Amino acid sequence: MSKPLRIALTKGRLEKDTVGLLESLGFDCTEVHEKGRKLILSIPDANLEVVLAKAADVITYVDRGVCDMGVVGKDTIMEMPGKFFEIVNLGFGKCKFALAGKKGVNFYGGFGVKTIATKYPNVARNFFEAKGMDVEIVKIEGSVELAPLLDLSDGIVDIVETGTTLRENGLEVKEDIAPIAARLIVNTVSMKMRQQEIEALVEKIEKKIAE
Amino acid sequence: MKNNNLITPEGTNDLLFKECVMRRTVQKAVSEVFMERGYSEIITPGIEFLDVFNLNSRHFPQEELYKLVDRKGRLIVLRPESTMPIARVVATRLKEATLPLRLCYDQYAFNVSTQMRGRSDQICQAGIELIGSSDRITDFEVIETAAAVLEKCSTGDYSLEIGDIGYFKELMNQLSATDEDKETIRDFIEEKNYPALNDFLDTFGDNSITKALKMLPRLFGGEEVFEKASKLFSDEKTDAILSSLKELFKDIEKLGLKGRVTVDLGMVNKTDYYTGVILKGYMEGYGEPVISGGRYDKLISEFGYDVPATGFAVNVDAVAKIRLRNEKIAVREVEAIVFAEKGFEMKAVLHARKLRAEGMKVELGAFNDIDKVRKYAAEVKIEKIISVGENIKEI
Repeated sequence: MSKPLRIALTKGRLEKDTVGLLESLGFDCTEVHEKGRKLILSIPDANLEVVLAKAADVITYVDRGVCDMGVVGKDTIMEMPGKFFEIVNLGFGKCKFALAGKKGVNFYGGFGVKTIATKYPNVARNFFEAKGMDVEIVKIEGSVELAPLLDLSDGIVDIVETGTTLRENGLEVKEDIAPIAARLIVNTVSMKMRQQEIEALVEKIEKKIAE
Repeated sequence: MKNNNLITPEGTNDLLFKECVMRRTVQKAVSEVFMERGYSEIITPGIEFLDVFNLNSRHFPQEELYKLVDRKGRLIVLRPESTMPIARVVATRLKEATLPLRLCYDQYAFNVSTQMRGRSDQICQAGIELIGSSDRITDFEVIETAAAVLEKCSTGDYSLEIGDIGYFKELMNQLSATDEDKETIRDFIEEKNYPALNDFLDTFGDNSITKALKMLPRLFGGEEVFEKASKLFSDEKTDAILSSLKELFKDIEKLGLKGRVTVDLGMVNKTDYYTGVILKGYMEGYGEPVISGGRYDKLISEFGYDVPATGFAVNVDAVAKIRLRNEKIAVREVEAIVFAEKGFEMKAVLHARKLRAEGMKVELGAFNDIDKVRKYAAEVKIEKIISVGENIKEI
């Protein structure tokens, strides 16, 4: 058998969903379930090697070609784009990027420059640049919802799933920016050098998702 | 103020010893491939006016260029690649030269790369430009040369990929969309972003063009690609491009590349002055193409001289990096140290010279104290010390 294909999975929910998907394709993922402290795990019957990583690192690994494939959220891809092929929308990990602000306040009102708090400065910048709008962006690491409440910002750009956190804090979605779901990404050289194996796996995955 | 005197700028590094040997080895191998095919080297300045890179067909993103300002306030850039400067030279000093011109280069290219991804901002690139003919034989020549580079420089597996940008351009001509939308489509195809491409093309209706464009990023692989493509879409122009590319594909296999040539109809580079056959070379163990190039028949005319051309560039640093990982380099060791006793320095220098003329690799002892020289010799593992005083003796 040839060298295994190496796939980087975003730790946490996307990892579980991906493993679930692989299991539904009939692959034995025991080692991934019983990982202990191991960082590289194998799924022998799929000839896969699984690497668990933080979302941003999945992109770096695939971009640099140390992993052939990766599963990562569209949110991370939008925030830190790289050179890779983005070939399957896996459908799980669904949510959206949205612009939110205080309920009942017209975000676009007034002539002042707006301040935006976000964990995703590039997404926020690209969104407002496309509108031709100058904004001041403040990078926040923790609960972004606090920023408008503390009057640090006029709005936030963040991931919204159900909107509960927003509602409970007197905020509302002002505008949707982009839908988000997990993606299967592939290194540009791996796609060519190991085309048959990757296409065979992708085909199975696409079929399963379509079901 | 923070002092940066001990580090190099992001995206650069010093090459030491074996890294240099390997870089030179690759440079020599590549340049031999070029020279034996009749290419002559040219060297262009490291800095150029921004205008050279700011033509209709190719705008370099501002944020990827290293910029300076000259004495008159004009914008200067560190050359981001060598093809456009060479096009400038061809359209000026070489305008009266007999065609075809076969030019090669081996010089740095500078790009501001994405931060913290471990990419280099300064890359050593070697390449060729074959100027003055659009006949088919020149496509063969360039591809054969690229294949020779891969063959000569690879230690592991490699592959050569061809495409024809004309196919994509022809499809796009027939799609009624704004330039901006076309750019979006091109991006999605380049990224092989199947889901986004499908969604976006759905807004242009369901017809044979959108169907073909949706499949375009998937049209890569072996000979079967041509059949798939011809089933998807067919008109006079695209059929002609496909059949000509297919012939080329089959012919290249005769170069002894069977199983190592692939085709990708969805190869649509952003840096796009290409007009016809394009190519990429991959080596196992490196996450990016090591060779990339193609035909650019309209580029030089933007400098005022209408001649067709084709060529490619090799990322020498990448090739050297792959080989350093896979190979042991044999560097000839120093065989002896010539130690000078006090007052016999020139005699020692002359003796060392004599030994070198006899074919030995020798260095001089750098200290007056024999114990220091012995200690040094032991540490760097040079076994022989020749002492030069009244007499010359091995100690």
